[in-house]
Amino acid sequence: MTDNLEQLINDAVEKALAGDMDAINNIEDRVTRSKAKAALVKAKREAAKEQTEKSSDENSIDSSDVKQDLTINENIAELLIQQFPDDIIKELSSKEHIQIQSKNWLIISKYLRDDPACLFDSLQCITGVDLGEESDLEVRYNLHSMTHRHAVEIRISCLRNKAKVPSVESIWRIGDWFERETYDMYGIEFEGHRDLKRILLPEDWEGWPLRKDYEVQETYHGIVVPKVKEGWE
Amino acid sequence: MGIVKGDQMVLNIGPQHPSTHGVLRLKVVTDGEIVSDIEPIIGYLHRCFEKHCENSTYEQVIPFTDRCDYIASMNNNFGYVVAMEKLMEIKVPDRVEYIRIIMAELNRIASHLLALGVYGLDVGAFTPFLYMFRDRERILDIFELTCGARLLYNYMWVGGVSHDLPVGFVETVYGFLDYFEPKLKEYNEILTYNKIFIERTADVGVLPPEVAISYGVSGPNLRGSGVKWDLRKDEPYSIYERFDFEVPVGEGTVGTTGDCWDRFYVRMLEMIESAKILRQALKNLPQDGDVHQAIPKKIRPPKGSIYQRTESPRGDLAYYIISDGSPEPYRLKMRSPAFTALSVLNEISRGWMLSDVIAILGSLDIVLGEIDR
Repeated sequence: MTDNLEQLINDAVEKALAGDMDAINNIEDRVTRSKAKAALVKAKREAAKEQTEKSSDENSIDSSDVKQDLTINENIAELLIQQFPDDIIKELSSKEHIQIQSKNWLIISKYLRDDPACLFDSLQCITGVDLGEESDLEVRYNLHSMTHRHAVEIRISCLRNKAKVPSVESIWRIGDWFERETYDMYGIEFEGHRDLKRILLPEDWEGWPLRKDYEVQETYHGIVVPKVKEGWE
Repeated sequence: MGIVKGDQMVLNIGPQHPSTHGVLRLKVVTDGEIVSDIEPIIGYLHRCFEKHCENSTYEQVIPFTDRCDYIASMNNNFGYVVAMEKLMEIKVPDRVEYIRIIMAELNRIASHLLALGVYGLDVGAFTPFLYMFRDRERILDIFELTCGARLLYNYMWVGGVSHDLPVGFVETVYGFLDYFEPKLKEYNEILTYNKIFIERTADVGVLPPEVAISYGVSGPNLRGSGVKWDLRKDEPYSIYERFDFEVPVGEGTVGTTGDCWDRFYVRMLEMIESAKILRQALKNLPQDGDVHQAIPKKIRPPKGSIYQRTESPRGDLAYYIISDGSPEPYRLKMRSPAFTALSVLNEISRGWMLSDVIAILGSLDIVLGEIDR
């Protein structure tokens, strides 16, 4: 039975990697489907990692591309690469977003806010994302500039067991509540936050509800929590 | 909250208190009558919106969005369907776009009427509240005529709307506008330029523009501080670029720019602009077109993510949707404008009297359903 399931998942993941997402989406059973998705994310991460290693071996990618038609994200990414060459993960960035390392995020965010070419004075939104049961968590920042009227998306991934990201509460004041909300839902610790505690849930809540592997606690204040039923009745 | 000194007192406002506009608790540290710190405690209305979305199909999310900001449900639907249509690259018929704008602007007027009426109530004027609720009722009647619901509509669907306009709709809305526009003068006489009202709100709770931006405050609250920023104008979505309207900003007419009165008056002016948009939309509304034509049979957006902002009556309402190609969203985050507006409360109420805090809180126009989600 379990062998069959594993076989099914492996097949689906292989097909999905080849570009056919329907193979996974057509799996009837919800649990199996989510397992397959987690496996897919993991497989992709490993592929990306391999690529990173490869490209760092080759080292010199031709950087004199045509610079017209760059989207604003790419423009900002270029700027950041010049300033912080070690912190930008170029391979995982795309036209829509910039992927960075968490280590120097506070310095980078200050640069993003104050540099005359960036001037991102407004933090629009912080979104936490769980990339799958066996992979990492991610924090996504949507920034906007009231002066230049441009926007950019920054992504920082962190380990599931040791989820720590520097806090930007001192850069954008709204970071305070947004980070508390992300902490509340995902358990991501924002280092340097002055008052990191739950915001929407009660302070004695157990677990991180928006993680994909979240399990409802059995009792709450001595009251038995009813089991979740599959689907709607 | 820090250490409370000997001559200070902690006062608890809410969660059940009429001036908190829902179930909000404020932990206020007072020094005599003067407020030295406020900590808003939220979450009493948390209904796991985002977790529910991950277990629902994309169509099932729409009724949930209604229940977030229950004062302006149409605008919440609107933001979601605009994001979904951008993600799925759906082009909706012109008639649908016009119907949506009519509904969104009607709901904006209804929402502002409630905000202004209740604000009068907060600072002690009971009559305007009744006048404004009387007029808001007419808009709810129009919604009831259209889709059967008065508060939670589930009206806008991905690719279309649930019902076509009923017979005589255009005339009804024209009738409402003819009735409503002269009423604004009446509100101004009874409330806006009332001496007591000005005394209570002018120069109180001044929100400087750079503080507002840093706190992510948006919508009428930001415009009250003199920042000319409206997504309908600056990043037009749907077909807002076809309409001619002004973006009113606070000018400190009776006090300082960014005070409670400015935030109040910007909403009053916005209702005039909404009425203007409504008249243009009614005039250009295409007569034919099937409102169900562009609704996809199966909603399965391609893999990817989208961050789409729209202008709700309370400010920048944004949805961050991540799709993995399945019928359910992988992750759906709602960026709520009232959430950011409430976070600035502590910053702008320190040093004011206790009764001013009620005036400041009311001027921010928060809806707890949207803050707690």
